[in-house]
Amino acid sequence: LCRGGLAERLCRLQNRERSAISFWRHQCVSDDKTPSDKSSVLIVKILEIFEECTIQVAICQQLEQSPVTLSPEDAVISAEEPILKVLFTKETTAHLKSRPQDVIHIYPPWQKLLLQNAGVPVIMNTYFSRKVLLSEHSEAREKTSGLTKMLIRKNIISLAQTFRLDDLDDKLHQEPSDNQVACAPQLHNKQHPLALSAVNDSLLDMVESQGAVGWREVQVRVVIQRVYCLPAREGYRSHTQGNKPLCATPGTNSDPPKVRLCLLVQDAYGMFSEVWLQSLSSTDDTEQYCRRWEGKSCCLAGMKILQRTTRGRALGLFSLIDSLWPPVVPLKVPGQSQDSEMMTTKLPPPSFCYILTVQSGEIHVEVDEEEQISNLYQPPAVHGLKEILQINECNERCSFWAQVLYRRLQTKHNVPVDQRDILLFVTDSTLQNVVHGIPKVVAVSVTASCVLGMEIREALSAGSQLVFFKDALWGNGRIICVERTVLLLQKPLLCLAAGADLSKLTGPVRLDELDSTTQANSICALRGTVVGVNESTAFSWPTCDRCGNGKLELCPQDRELLYCNQCSEVVTTPVLKMQLEVFLSCPSRSQSTVKVKVWQRPAQFVLLTMLLFLQTYEVQSVLGKEVGLLNCYVHSVTSHPNCVALEEIVLL
Amino acid sequence: STLPAVAEELLREIKKAFEESSHVPDDLLLGLKFIFGPSAVPALDLVDQRSVTRVIAPSGRTLYQVLGSSGKLYTCYSSCHFCTCPAFGFSVLQKSESLLCKHILAVYLSQAMGACQELSVSEEQLTNILLAEEEDEG
Repeated sequence: LCRGGLAERLCRLQNRERSAISFWRHQCVSDDKTPSDKSSVLIVKILEIFEECTIQVAICQQLEQSPVTLSPEDAVISAEEPILKVLFTKETTAHLKSRPQDVIHIYPPWQKLLLQNAGVPVIMNTYFSRKVLLSEHSEAREKTSGLTKMLIRKNIISLAQTFRLDDLDDKLHQEPSDNQVACAPQLHNKQHPLALSAVNDSLLDMVESQGAVGWREVQVRVVIQRVYCLPAREGYRSHTQGNKPLCATPGTNSDPPKVRLCLLVQDAYGMFSEVWLQSLSSTDDTEQYCRRWEGKSCCLAGMKILQRTTRGRALGLFSLIDSLWPPVVPLKVPGQSQDSEMMTTKLPPPSFCYILTVQSGEIHVEVDEEEQISNLYQPPAVHGLKEILQINECNERCSFWAQVLYRRLQTKHNVPVDQRDILLFVTDSTLQNVVHGIPKVVAVSVTASCVLGMEIREALSAGSQLVFFKDALWGNGRIICVERTVLLLQKPLLCLAAGADLSKLTGPVRLDELDSTTQANSICALRGTVVGVNESTAFSWPTCDRCGNGKLELCPQDRELLYCNQCSEVVTTPVLKMQLEVFLSCPSRSQSTVKVKVWQRPAQFVLLTMLLFLQTYEVQSVLGKEVGLLNCYVHSVTSHPNCVALEEIVLL
Repeated sequence: STLPAVAEELLREIKKAFEESSHVPDDLLLGLKFIFGPSAVPALDLVDQRSVTRVIAPSGRTLYQVLGSSGKLYTCYSSCHFCTCPAFGFSVLQKSESLLCKHILAVYLSQAMGACQELSVSEEQLTNILLAEEEDEG
């Protein structure tokens, strides 16, 4: 059974009812006197009985008082006494063994139902019923009649008689509460007021009172703390685990991976919720939504509870929630008047969070964009990279501006390009201006779960960019961009910036020099002298100057010319690419063998080296050559043998 | 007959309560239990799981498909009370013990609470669904 669903609720109610029934029956047997409280007991005299399915329908006359004192002859049907149809379940029927003329006492909680066409009122929930014997005479009759089985007419219900749930005449339909006999239980529970215009301000209230079926017209007012995109996983559906449609849905394999716009919202009581909105096919809109929506109040309506998640199960989500805790304004206290607010500094951060989604494809998020930023909103706190590197805690969300110097894609070829992890090397003025102790450049790993917009991807491959990293994760000496981290090109409207404008870099970018602390998968600068060349791996090849195709062929017509089959044209001026491994002696790391590989478009030094080498094929011609400050990516650092393998790179 | 009118009124009350407050009060749930007996809880469970689909063709013909707990898909007609599940054949048709089976009740409850999934199919596809049932029995 679904937790929080209607079935579970009915099960609970039914169990309670069953206990109450057996308790009551037991009490009746032991205590034969009529109960003291007679105000809500329904007293009926059965006139006629018939059966429909397993329900026994008794046409009865409602009696004003218990006719204990009357003789059977007095209990005559009079036209003024109201007629009722009392329904009994199979089990109650077996217990009562009622016959026409029997008088039954029906104890609460019975229910009365008025039918549309105002027929005879119907009494239901008659579990607590017992027969009352009028006199000794009838007691004797009871004993004898119990032996003979009474034949009861059974009505067969036509299958053609279906139920119409639409109200044809709403105005004529009377409220049952108006017509009820003064009695404890009312069929229509009017405890919940019409919520069409009511706007609640507590997420927890709404979640607890509405159950998993969803809210319809109820609205909750919340503040949007963060806007981000999450990868939309196909298998992650709510209660639609049922329904497989008969006709095949259009194939989704060819579609690009979908992305879903999500909000992290907080209500006035401090409770958070993650709201999953519609899928976005392109993620260019995220930046716009961030700018327009973050910090504003909004009303959520027509939401459905997808999941209740806890800290242990959703570390990423809770690291973001923790970064927004404690709240910057006092919170409301549930159950107390609006004036009393609680101090939030000592409150523990939340341990659970509801994930909500929209029902039936319609979005019910009314963001008041014109309104001012809410007091509850906590913009991302921007720090310099130097400060971030000095944070001691793990899994902290951090936001910063940084210049992207170099980008490297992970090399797994079976993963599509836009789902590969990206390694970005970034710096800012706080790192560049430091002399000792702190690296000048930091590696930021962007995992596939961090959704990047097309704009950002293109910008990163085009050139050096100043990027705002919002809510990245810091831990174990690394900065990673995961789910809920957002990379933006433009400055968000509101940031808490610590100190000076961190975005401007003064002077050219400097990398850390290669030394004994250099680690693999980092970038550095080096200088040294050529001490050797790996002749076995040195070679050069021509590439097409139009498309860069490295697999040129000989022209079939003229074997002297080169042909590119990607451009379908002859290549008249091919670009020569070279691969060369050069061994350097670097004073900054004198103990290691430094091996630098070049296989891109050659930079200044290598061209000179290569030309010299190719012309002479004499290693002597390059030995001793001085190498200027070369920017490299460190592939590996090994201690036995003591070797550093690098690759010359060009910064963005 | 009395029971169908009572059942209909109860379902209308549920629809009304749900439309007003997105909530079904306890007394209506107990009323369901009283009238429909052992079908009530399983039917509500089918609603919780969103197992009911309204299948509609361009001509306007409709039927309902309910995904049972065993994973089997049952077809319920919209013009009369009929379901392809064995319980319907036994309890309703043969023994006249119940008004409906849990699937038909789930269809009504899903209608009342707006929990029906919708599926548009072609005329041919709808016909195939109906004919497929015949083939199974034949």
